Amino acid sequence: MGRLILRRLAATIPVLLLVTAGVFALIHLTPGDPIDAMMAESVDDSVKRELRRELGLDRPLYLQYATWMGRLLQGDLGRSIRNREPVIENVSRRIRPSLQLAGLAMAISLLVATPIGILSAARRNSTIDRCGTTFALFGICMPNFLIALLLIFVFGVTLRWLPISGYVDPLEEPWDGLRSLTLPAITLGLALAAVVTRTLRSSMLEALSEDYIRTARAKGLSDGAVVRRHALKNALIPVVTVLGLQLGTLIGGAVITEYVFALPGVGRLVVDAVFARDYPLVQGVVLLIAVGFILSNLAVDLLYGLIDPRIRHR
Amino acid sequence: MAAHQPDATPSDLSRRAFLRTTLAAGAVAPAALAAGGAGRAWAQETPKKGGTLRVAFYIEAATMDPHMSGSKIDRQVYHNIFEPLVVLDTNLGVKPGLAESWQQPDPKTLVFKLRRGVKFHDGTDFNAEAVKFNFNRMKTEPKSVRKGEVASIDTVDILDTYTVKLNLRRPDAALLATLTDRAGMMVSPKTAQERGAELERNAKGAGTGPFVFVEWVKDDHLLIRRNDGYWNKQGGPYLEQIRYRPIPDDTVKLQSLQAGEIHVMDYVQPRDVAAVKADRNVVVLDVPSLADFAYQLNHTRPPFDNRALRQAVAYALDLEQIVKGVWLNVGVPANGPIPPTSWAYDRTIPFIKRDLAKAKAKLAEGGKAGGFTFTVTTNNIPINVQEAEVIQAQLAEAGITMKIKLVDSSTLISDGNAKNFEMISFQWSGRPDPDGNTFQFYRTTPGTSLNWSGISNPQIDALLDKSREVSSQAERKKLFSQLTRILQEELPMVFIVHPVEPKAFSPRVQGYDPIPDGMMRFKDVWLK
Amino acid sequence: MASSTPGSGIAEPVTAPLTRAVPGRPAPARRWRTLRHAAGARLAPFGAAVLLVAVLAAMLAPAVAPHDPLKQDLNHALARPDRAHLLGTDNVGRDVLSRVIWGTRVSLVAGLGSVGIAMLVGGLLGLLAGYAGGRVDGLVMRLMDAVLSFPPLVLALALGAVLGAGLSGVVIALGVVYTPTFARLMRGQVLSITAREYVDAARALGVPGWRIAWSHVLPNVTAPIVVQASLSVAFAILAEASLSFLGLGVQPPAPSWGSMINAGRGYLQQAPWIVFGPGAALFVTVVGLNFVGDAVRDALDPRLRV
Repeated sequence: MGRLILRRLAATIPVLLLVTAGVFALIHLTPGDPIDAMMAESVDDSVKRELRRELGLDRPLYLQYATWMGRLLQGDLGRSIRNREPVIENVSRRIRPSLQLAGLAMAISLLVATPIGILSAARRNSTIDRCGTTFALFGICMPNFLIALLLIFVFGVTLRWLPISGYVDPLEEPWDGLRSLTLPAITLGLALAAVVTRTLRSSMLEALSEDYIRTARAKGLSDGAVVRRHALKNALIPVVTVLGLQLGTLIGGAVITEYVFALPGVGRLVVDAVFARDYPLVQGVVLLIAVGFILSNLAVDLLYGLIDPRIRHR
Repeated sequence: MAAHQPDATPSDLSRRAFLRTTLAAGAVAPAALAAGGAGRAWAQETPKKGGTLRVAFYIEAATMDPHMSGSKIDRQVYHNIFEPLVVLDTNLGVKPGLAESWQQPDPKTLVFKLRRGVKFHDGTDFNAEAVKFNFNRMKTEPKSVRKGEVASIDTVDILDTYTVKLNLRRPDAALLATLTDRAGMMVSPKTAQERGAELERNAKGAGTGPFVFVEWVKDDHLLIRRNDGYWNKQGGPYLEQIRYRPIPDDTVKLQSLQAGEIHVMDYVQPRDVAAVKADRNVVVLDVPSLADFAYQLNHTRPPFDNRALRQAVAYALDLEQIVKGVWLNVGVPANGPIPPTSWAYDRTIPFIKRDLAKAKAKLAEGGKAGGFTFTVTTNNIPINVQEAEVIQAQLAEAGITMKIKLVDSSTLISDGNAKNFEMISFQWSGRPDPDGNTFQFYRTTPGTSLNWSGISNPQIDALLDKSREVSSQAERKKLFSQLTRILQEELPMVFIVHPVEPKAFSPRVQGYDPIPDGMMRFKDVWLK
Repeated sequence: MASSTPGSGIAEPVTAPLTRAVPGRPAPARRWRTLRHAAGARLAPFGAAVLLVAVLAAMLAPAVAPHDPLKQDLNHALARPDRAHLLGTDNVGRDVLSRVIWGTRVSLVAGLGSVGIAMLVGGLLGLLAGYAGGRVDGLVMRLMDAVLSFPPLVLALALGAVLGAGLSGVVIALGVVYTPTFARLMRGQVLSITAREYVDAARALGVPGWRIAWSHVLPNVTAPIVVQASLSVAFAILAEASLSFLGLGVQPPAPSWGSMINAGRGYLQQAPWIVFGPGAALFVTVVGLNFVGDAVRDALDPRLRV
């Protein structure tokens, strides 16, 4: 097992190298310059030149890449051009809201999807099932910016039940914090719920058609007990893996939700950095997101191999 | 102050109450507000001390060091914790700030007599030493962004503890107005030296203003607190705290205000103005700004190296329709770069009115009787897109085909600097002195500069240079009028609008005194 | 298949992990597919109808649209829906319905174009990797992994900025984002097919490699690819709308659903039809395409049917 993990980890290194080269090349190819963008209203050419020299932006690209990689290997992700703070600090400041949002969204999705998924599977082809599948489909197809706008309009402005912007840390102020995250979490959670419903339904159907379920039924166990005691546990495995895979992408990908609800998350951080051509920040955050994605995929793969004996031997 | 006298809407009634208390509480401010009865003494509402004012801008500040700052939002915070040597009043006149009085014995000398008894928030005294330190810092700090603004200052002499003499390299009539903003803001030498680069994150103790810097939690909020030791005992500060928060989305910002989550927002989009004015929960103030919005035309390459074609475009535009349809009359058509709020504004020069016949004639003169095609570069803000679409339709009626190229702001700036455009969107936030809206854009400048159009006209250069040397406002006004006329002929830019910047408040906010530079100063503001 | 990002709406959604097309995995359990097949059969006609309407709208836009989508009428801006303007007018007085109809072109081009690119490039890469094996395989798959682990929205934004303004930039950017999915899929198919006996036989007979690839491998891999493509188009359309919402994409004044929603966002309270017109069109199209995709999957991929 240990060797397998090491082997898989080693295999990710070339991928990460490609990612570093890719993000470096890409962001440096975009037109525009971070210094010009930062100092748009100023004419001080000498100051701009000085800043560029200080940040190494006047050196040839391959040298800049080499410097960045060199520092990277020593664990230094560099500093944001705009606020001069280490990339790590910028990210760690933003990771908490992103994680909390992702966590809350997942919780909501499970809350919504579990009953629907189970019922759909337990009562195949019934109206409930068709409603459930349709709901799942709609959730995936609804653009999340539309969901966000609707939620803001209904709950924020008209009913005024929930705050529509800003972030309060639930760890510091639980009630206010949760309220500030509710609308964005619902926005993300609905789409997620759709995916989870589909997954749970299919895996429940599969689990329910297994032989041991028939045996249990033959023994006289009620439907509910069958579901609860036998099918559900096995059905949840793919769900957990799906959610695990989602976590990596939710963190960096909830950009639109973060924008619309003014949440200081990682998604907005990196998109703002792209718009401002903040090279080190873009490079650093993309790398971190890629690492997160790869690691979470790896973890899911290994977990899956552990749990499902059919897949263990490749 | 824009004289805005609509039919009485609910918001107007609360607005009048708002202004009433402003007049009363702001009795110390000599510049009375015009709307609702200037100078009349209304029943006094006594300002209450306390409360936290929640303010939202679209981004957060970039740095807390006024000498290193290049961003507009920084200034909003600075004007509450730092103070400049001189300040602006509602008519854009220059009034005493940290300097009690000043004299100009000759055009190249400026002597300031400083206010006594002022202390920085860290306890040290404000005096001539501090002023000299500040100007030196602006000129010599490698990352100082103020260098260009104080370039005309050669040396600073300390005449006595509270008197400073600035020796200028050349006459600079615009200098006083420049000193009403960041270039004139005084930072405590002790704090600046002790804190070094940290000053950009932490300005505790650095200013002299009515509020003291408390903390800045990046991406979250910036907090400042009342300075109970403030030197000016008349009026405020009343508020206990002010909390600034960034809300990037305009719609969300407005909804936050309507929901009562914030008390102040700095800018209402034109499309929201009508609805917001009808909303009882919000008070809107129309604040005319110093800004000018235009499109720069590239004089260094076709098609706009040809003056006739530039003029054809100018005659084909219907500014009134743009201002009415796109800006919803939140602003006025522009006759040039100088805004109506400025003393230098010449109302006898009309803006270029649409004349399709003349446009077609100019097309023929330029050798393109059948029309021509060009591309405008603009950035992806909804109202910019809308304006471009309207202009596209207007030009089409004259036979001119305009294509629209949308880019993000970094690309826009880089294209502008590199003169990589035919026509490009340009929005200048404006400066109190007309020099700030003109010199760097029209003076012949080799290399990269804000003169994106590349215009090089000896007449214009002469006028601009002279306007800096002459000190009489009346004479300068004549020069700027001449400049405006030439600009309408030569067209380095087609001017579109001087926008009004409506600000929106919760009705609880009292005592706000709007200055046309758009900066929100909360010294005399209190919460009901 | 690649993972989904509900937040960004860029990549397609995950189906059960069991169906990831990576060699070495056992054949997916099939029984749960029966139900999807049955349900799909009922909904497929609806989806087909939607697709037909969309294609017709796109092709016949000049004839079908009641008004000129670009004609501004500043005196009748933000007008409520009425007989003259079934979906009202927008902030410069243009007819929303006409713009929605013309917007179909943009969405279909974006969807089909980006998936087309991804299919072509990804398919070729996957074919190459699967067939050549060894180091080429390793290199290509690492490249695909790298693209996959790049946050898709950032990739699309940055590529869009590099490629310049306009729809083509967006289409190419999205094409790049979806390429790994097709590459992986193709590679998996190739690997499983080349392991079959008839390929061995062909090789033994001395048939050249490329001919084997062309006549034996390719016909058998098309089905899953087409299935994936039909599902991806729906999400590519959503992705284009998301990117337009953030400011990338078609150049004005050309109408696109995403940019219409973005522009109409500020008028949600005063004139919600500006948002809901294109919003409904977007939603219905994506749902319809999903139904079609499901039906195509059930019809074409014999492995998945029971």
